[in-house]
Amino acid sequence: MLRYIAQRLVQAAVIVAIVATITFALIHLAPGDPFSAVMDNPDVSETVRQTMRAQYGFDRPLPEQFVRYVSSLAHGQLGWSFSHERPVREVLGSALPNTLLLMGVALLGSFAFGILIALIQVSRRGSVTDHVLSALSLFFFSMPDFWLAILAFLTFTYWLPIFPSGGAVDPVMHEYLGLGGRIVDRLRHLALPALTLILLASAVVARYQRAALLDVLPADYIRTARLKGLTEPEILRRHALRNALLPIITLVGLSFPALLTGTFFVEKIFAWPGMGYAVVLAIGTRDYPLVVGGVIIGSILVTLGSLLSDVLYALADPRLRR
Amino acid sequence: MPWQTQDFAASAPTPVRESPLALAVRRILRKPSSRVAFFVLGVIVLVGLLAPLLAPYNPSAQPDIVRLKDLPPSLAHPFGTDQYSRDVLSRVIYGARLSLMIGVLATIVSLTLGVAYGAIAGYAGGILDAVMMRVLDAFLSIPRLLLLIGALVAWPRLSIGALVVFLGLTGWFGLSRIVRGQVLALKHAEFVTAAQALGASRRRILWRHLLPNIVSPIVVAATLGVAHVIVLEAGLSYLGIGVQPPLASWGNIINDGADQPAALWWMSLFPGLFMVLTVMTLNILGEALRDAYERR
Repeated sequence: MLRYIAQRLVQAAVIVAIVATITFALIHLAPGDPFSAVMDNPDVSETVRQTMRAQYGFDRPLPEQFVRYVSSLAHGQLGWSFSHERPVREVLGSALPNTLLLMGVALLGSFAFGILIALIQVSRRGSVTDHVLSALSLFFFSMPDFWLAILAFLTFTYWLPIFPSGGAVDPVMHEYLGLGGRIVDRLRHLALPALTLILLASAVVARYQRAALLDVLPADYIRTARLKGLTEPEILRRHALRNALLPIITLVGLSFPALLTGTFFVEKIFAWPGMGYAVVLAIGTRDYPLVVGGVIIGSILVTLGSLLSDVLYALADPRLRR
Repeated sequence: MPWQTQDFAASAPTPVRESPLALAVRRILRKPSSRVAFFVLGVIVLVGLLAPLLAPYNPSAQPDIVRLKDLPPSLAHPFGTDQYSRDVLSRVIYGARLSLMIGVLATIVSLTLGVAYGAIAGYAGGILDAVMMRVLDAFLSIPRLLLLIGALVAWPRLSIGALVVFLGLTGWFGLSRIVRGQVLALKHAEFVTAAQALGASRRRILWRHLLPNIVSPIVVAATLGVAHVIVLEAGLSYLGIGVQPPLASWGNIINDGADQPAALWWMSLFPGLFMVLTVMTLNILGEALRDAYERR
């Protein structure tokens, strides 16, 4: 078991190294300077440009730049954000907790909701309910993240103004609220972005889990349970669901990339001050180091997610426990 | 229902040998949901193809940027106008053309790469296979949208051709893994051994004997792949790094209205509806194809 975890850790490190190489290649294959936002200004003279290139080390030979880049990454340095005039690490570091909160809530919510939908479908397989829920989950599965977020934004902050329109807290009132008020304020701001993500992600979970449950149902132990005289709901809950939960652990890892992508759009639309919002704003200001830093951190998150789900799988499956 | 298939085959007059694809298409069109999907997708594709005939206005014409801008839907402009007084319906129609074209072309690029990479890895085996698969793992663990953002942000004012290449270059990882698995499974099949015994070269075995047998997963991946590319392109255009203005794509139109989504709701709603319909029908057809193949 320990050996397996060690192997997966090495694999994860290799993946992050490859990601770093790809991002380095992307920056240096691109035309122009890596800090075009400053360089595009025609008033900047050639001497200043040269000085800046030298300051940031862009005048060195590529292999040297690559080694410097990798070593600074290994030290946790992600470069300098031109638009925030702060290290990228600080910008992303202060945004990351908000993203993790949103993703965590969405992950828990979508798995709970998705598994529930799948259970309802399987307990009435072939019925109208099953078909309607299948159609709905296909609908939300096909829905582009950003479009659903825009619709949710329009509907619940503008036409039916139930929720605040953006941010993580009320910009004016939050400071004046008591502890209870602050918590309520935070929850009110969290609700709509989280619900949007949950709706998007639970469609995936429900489709996957329905298939997993249907795979399990023909198994011998289900037949045994049925012959033993258990009722159908009991069979589903005690025998089928527990066995069909195993593939769900894999799905946690697999759903991380999609969830992260969804978070980027949802953060943009609801102005949620997380990593995705920072990166999307940085696209507008062409702050490459910040965008690339976000890409690297996002990939690390995804790698960690799949690492975690593989290890959990190995722990949960008695057949793999040695 | 296998007995129906047998029945049908028995009653068919002199069956010309049917390709697996034709068989699958015939099979999925028996399902009402796929028939509807096929019809809707056909209409959207036609709209895209006939865009110049169907669009009531020139999609980039700005007839009167003072009096005709930001108009809500009306008879003259069923989908309203945008902040440059352009007709949103015409833009959505031309957007269908561009979004579908990008989807198909990028998928062709990914199919080519994915099949080649997977087939080589699976057929070669050994260390080459192992190394190729580890590299693939790395690519697979970067979310595609992030990879594209990282790539595209450095290339301002990207041409459509380059966008297609980028979308294609980031879309083959999953498929190549499937192809490799299939090639591995078929590598020692009897018909391959027979071909080897007859003296066929490795290349001939790969192209003439192995690949035709793995067409089905490729077709499924292609259908779902087009849907995925359409969503990605829309997302990137929405972020302002995909299709560049004044060209219209669905994501791009939504981005034009993104500054004031509440006031210009028609600019988010209508292109989005077309996008969802297209993606959903492609997903329905892709899954129906998968079911049809798996039942064989």
